[in-house]
Amino acid sequence: MLDLFARNRVATLLVILVVAYAAIGAAAPGYLSGATASTVLASSLVLMLISLGTMVVIVTRNIDVSSGSVLGLSAAVLGLSLNAGVGLPLAVALCMLTGVAAGAFNGLMVAYLGIPSIVATLGTLGLYRGIMLVMTGGRWIEDLPQDLKALAGNLGLGFSVLTVVVVAIIGGLWLFLRRTRFGRFFYAVGDNRAAAHHLGVPVRRVQFSAFVATGACAALASIVYSAQIGFIPNQAGNGVELKAIAVNVLGGVSLLGGTGSVAGVVAAVIFITSIDSALVFLKIPAYWNDFIAGALLLSVLLLDGRIRQVIDHRIRARRYAVHDRTPVVEGRDQTSKALEAGL
Amino acid sequence: MKKLIFRWETALLAMLVVELAIFGIVNPRFLNLGNLIYGTSDFVQIGIVALPLTLVIIAGGIDVSFASTIGLAAIVFGVATFYAVPLPISIAVALVTGASCGLFNATIIHLSKIQPLVVTLGSLYLFQGTATVASGLVGAGGYEGIGNFPQAFNAFGYAQIFGLPATLVLFLALAAVLVTLLHFTRFGRAVFLVGQSESAARFAGIPVAKVQTITYVVTGLCAAIAGLALSAYFGSARVDLGSATLLPAVTAAVLGGASIYGGQGSILGTLIATFVIGYLQQGLQASGVSSQISSALSGGLLVIAVAMRQGSALLADFIAVIRLKKSQTALTSGGK
Amino acid sequence: MTKDLAAGRVAVLEDIWKSYGAVPVLRGVSLALGAGEVHALLGGNGAGKSSLMKIIAGIIPANSGRIEINGQFLTHASPALAQELGLYLVPQEAHILPNQSVLENICLGLRASPRALRPRVRTLVQELSVAIDLDAQAATLEIAERQIVEILRGLVRDARVLILDEPTSALTPFETRALFDRVRKLQMQGVGIFFISHKLREIREICSTISVLRDGIIVLSGSLDDYNDGEIVKAMSHVQTSAEGEKTSILAKVAQIGQPRLSVRGLSGEGFRDISLEVRAGEILGLAGVVGAGRTEFAETLFGLRKQFAGSVHLDGVELSQRSPRLCIDKGLVYLPEDRQQNGLFLEAPLFWNVSSYLIHRLPFFLRSSQERLSFDGFRNSMGIKCTSAGQAARGLSGGNQQKVLMAKCLSARPKVLILDEPTRGVDVAARNDIYALIRTLAADGVAIVLISSDFDEIEQLADRVQVMAFGQHGGALVDDISVDAIAKLAFGASEANHA
Repeated sequence: MLDLFARNRVATLLVILVVAYAAIGAAAPGYLSGATASTVLASSLVLMLISLGTMVVIVTRNIDVSSGSVLGLSAAVLGLSLNAGVGLPLAVALCMLTGVAAGAFNGLMVAYLGIPSIVATLGTLGLYRGIMLVMTGGRWIEDLPQDLKALAGNLGLGFSVLTVVVVAIIGGLWLFLRRTRFGRFFYAVGDNRAAAHHLGVPVRRVQFSAFVATGACAALASIVYSAQIGFIPNQAGNGVELKAIAVNVLGGVSLLGGTGSVAGVVAAVIFITSIDSALVFLKIPAYWNDFIAGALLLSVLLLDGRIRQVIDHRIRARRYAVHDRTPVVEGRDQTSKALEAGL
Repeated sequence: MKKLIFRWETALLAMLVVELAIFGIVNPRFLNLGNLIYGTSDFVQIGIVALPLTLVIIAGGIDVSFASTIGLAAIVFGVATFYAVPLPISIAVALVTGASCGLFNATIIHLSKIQPLVVTLGSLYLFQGTATVASGLVGAGGYEGIGNFPQAFNAFGYAQIFGLPATLVLFLALAAVLVTLLHFTRFGRAVFLVGQSESAARFAGIPVAKVQTITYVVTGLCAAIAGLALSAYFGSARVDLGSATLLPAVTAAVLGGASIYGGQGSILGTLIATFVIGYLQQGLQASGVSSQISSALSGGLLVIAVAMRQGSALLADFIAVIRLKKSQTALTSGGK
Repeated sequence: MTKDLAAGRVAVLEDIWKSYGAVPVLRGVSLALGAGEVHALLGGNGAGKSSLMKIIAGIIPANSGRIEINGQFLTHASPALAQELGLYLVPQEAHILPNQSVLENICLGLRASPRALRPRVRTLVQELSVAIDLDAQAATLEIAERQIVEILRGLVRDARVLILDEPTSALTPFETRALFDRVRKLQMQGVGIFFISHKLREIREICSTISVLRDGIIVLSGSLDDYNDGEIVKAMSHVQTSAEGEKTSILAKVAQIGQPRLSVRGLSGEGFRDISLEVRAGEILGLAGVVGAGRTEFAETLFGLRKQFAGSVHLDGVELSQRSPRLCIDKGLVYLPEDRQQNGLFLEAPLFWNVSSYLIHRLPFFLRSSQERLSFDGFRNSMGIKCTSAGQAARGLSGGNQQKVLMAKCLSARPKVLILDEPTRGVDVAARNDIYALIRTLAADGVAIVLISSDFDEIEQLADRVQVMAFGQHGGALVDDISVDAIAKLAFGASEANHA
């Protein structure tokens, strides 16, 4: 039972989610509707992209706390170039390029200069936000063109172009991490860096690529953000990196690297977004949000940690039990004697 | 003597001097002694949490929840005065709240064996949420403040001791206590050893969990002190009082020489780094840069400083290898 | 290049130099390996074997020298390149990715996917006749199984050059035999193999050529048939002469051995069961056994680091029931950990911090570091620790000097009973002799010593009495006839019997 919950975080989350939905649905019958589902889906997109990007880095046993600022910076590039009359495709390309460059700078510092990732990205968290503010002069970017906002328009069933793109990315990332050789390297590097090096895995290139991917995801998230909101405030993306880390932990991605699945992260994002929407629906004052999010995260962590310890303990016991197996002959004799006596 | 010159603290001090000189050239009025001294009131709270945070980092942990603890302690104090609890007891309750936050973090970390960053990230939300809920309960709403403190309390925000702002004196006194504790006592030695190798510390019979717990509790306590100081300074307690300290305080500790891997760091370094960061923000503002940008640029400073340290270490390694090769070729050719 | 291949050479090393910091480990080593050759590489701890092999495998760079694999130069240190050229190093301690399956562990780094390789791996598993679940999580594997994963990695890579670094240290005799069969098959296919081992019998069984490394130089090389065991052993250790004399002086001392200091009765814990022993003041008790026999677990349980399931421990007749490292240190039961870098030293800390770390709770609250420095300087002089100052970080010292610092740390606690776990692992010959002399002096001063070692020569040289652990249990005791052979028989005996 314990093993099941620890190994299969997705299932655990889904079970909790179904129970929670049932409870909320019973308390407020109007909640379980298609409208809720499409709201949850749409409002989960930004967090989904940032969380997936963060996951790729965490799997390689690093961390990226700068993605909120990368989001802000690429959003500023997008907004400013659009308002300067640049066409949407080129503006999107510039925005993506910004995200990739920001991620590459993080990757350079961590993979090639050996700066601890938490320190490097904590620094760029401030740095990128600063560059964004310099670019915008501290003003919000408003009056974004209609064709950008149209990207968030409903195509039916609550799906927009952006939703389709995000779903494609989820599928693509899943395939990449599970099915490709280079994708497996990400887990190997996070699991045991020395072993990966020993087996010929290009450790630095993998770490670098992970940061670039995170930057690209953050840039994509900035497009979703701008299209959905229709303007770009100074604090765009502020704090989303912490939420993304929380989502990853909730989704079963170990911060020690080497484990975690796309499915787990997706389930966790849906879970967190659902809770938020349920609080709104139940008209619980907004000031409970942080408390509930924090309490939830910590309880999951505590539970998870304890379960892991129990499992570790069992593995250890099993490993040491080998020594008890050695006097095989003697032991077997006793058992058979005991059996005979019993019979 | 050579040692003194090559110490990181000396480099930081030089950085501070250069920084002040540049701002002085840009805006000569910036270098007014009174300005410099009273300007500290705007950033001294960063230092008050960065100092104990240095202890946590040296002992191999990290705490990001202090940013919320500041707000929580302030709100608890505000709620207590709202219900007309006597001032000393309100203060005591706020301090106990801060210390319990630290104890809470340490307990969860040791129970779950999960990385401190993740745990304190969770409690960052939890403490902030608790503070928001608490202030909501007394009708102060989400992010509105609780005010109407006793006059004696508000006065502390602007009080002077020996001609210096009381909060600055508090900060320097705290630094003195922690310098002594970390660098001259048995406890400080244990903090370093635990951070350098937890397993070797366990083998040497050093109570690892206890040492780490104390560092978290001290951080919570100091966060509460910062929360009280800020409440007195602003005349009201708000949930988000500490949110702007998170990044600069971690920056100050790391810039001050604390290794994120544990086992290294210095209180003096953090002390100087606090002034470097604080005056950077003020100098930029005095030079007409908006406050948002200046606070963000301290992140840039962190990147540059760490890259420089890392770069110089790489360079030193490189030089060592070249030297070795030279001596070796000499040896080989000598052998032949 | 072509000349080498024509001569059937699959690996050539020329004039390899390597040093760590100021400590040289390899001083101009040249070696050649032919196709179908199984080349034994011997040498004591710290002779440079592991460094040499890591350099060929591209894991660490050499300071100078040339490496050729299959007729192509290893232009830079890169494991990927070495593997591409057709070389794989099966390391002594397996590199495991704990969160991945056994199959993924084996196939990582190969072009083909694990799914495609499964049938091939399965065939290899059957040929080796080992029982291993390819879908198990690698974290659950035991040491021996991890070793098998490494060997399978080498086999599945179709390497033309294989390096086996003590591959049998964790295997049962049965598995060893299967491995050797496989090695012979590879040999027929023209694979060249470097075989690192301490066990002469094994080497005689499958190797054709031999090279012996000592202090970073090849001191003996050629066809295995040209040398007898005595010559090989003599080449490995340079101080052969003094051993006799030392031994007699110990024998003279045995008479003066005093009161029982430590007595352990029926101790059971993780990885060992029902171990009893007794050490007297001035006596050196050798606790021998192979890797994984449960000796370190036993010592750590004794020192209060692990849970004890049953049994009792008495020190000078007083029972120590609720043991913790601090209590043990205070009572005079001191442990020198096996893993020096991980558990013994604080590598970044000044040397004098290291030495006083066992006594940190007895230091004054306000430290007086000048006294600590003085006490360190005392040890430095008496033990001949080579360092620049008491404030130097421990990382900068050589293995031997680090080990001396660790000894000083133990001695500063004024031990009555000293448990030394592999006190000379990775230590150069000179420092080893210093440590041996120190151990003898301590015993002469009335300290009771438990010497844990898998180096049976070391036990033979030092111990007054030997107790052997095998598979976590008491494997036998020796008093009068302490010899490497007798110890080995007891240490391996249990397993031989099991599979017979």
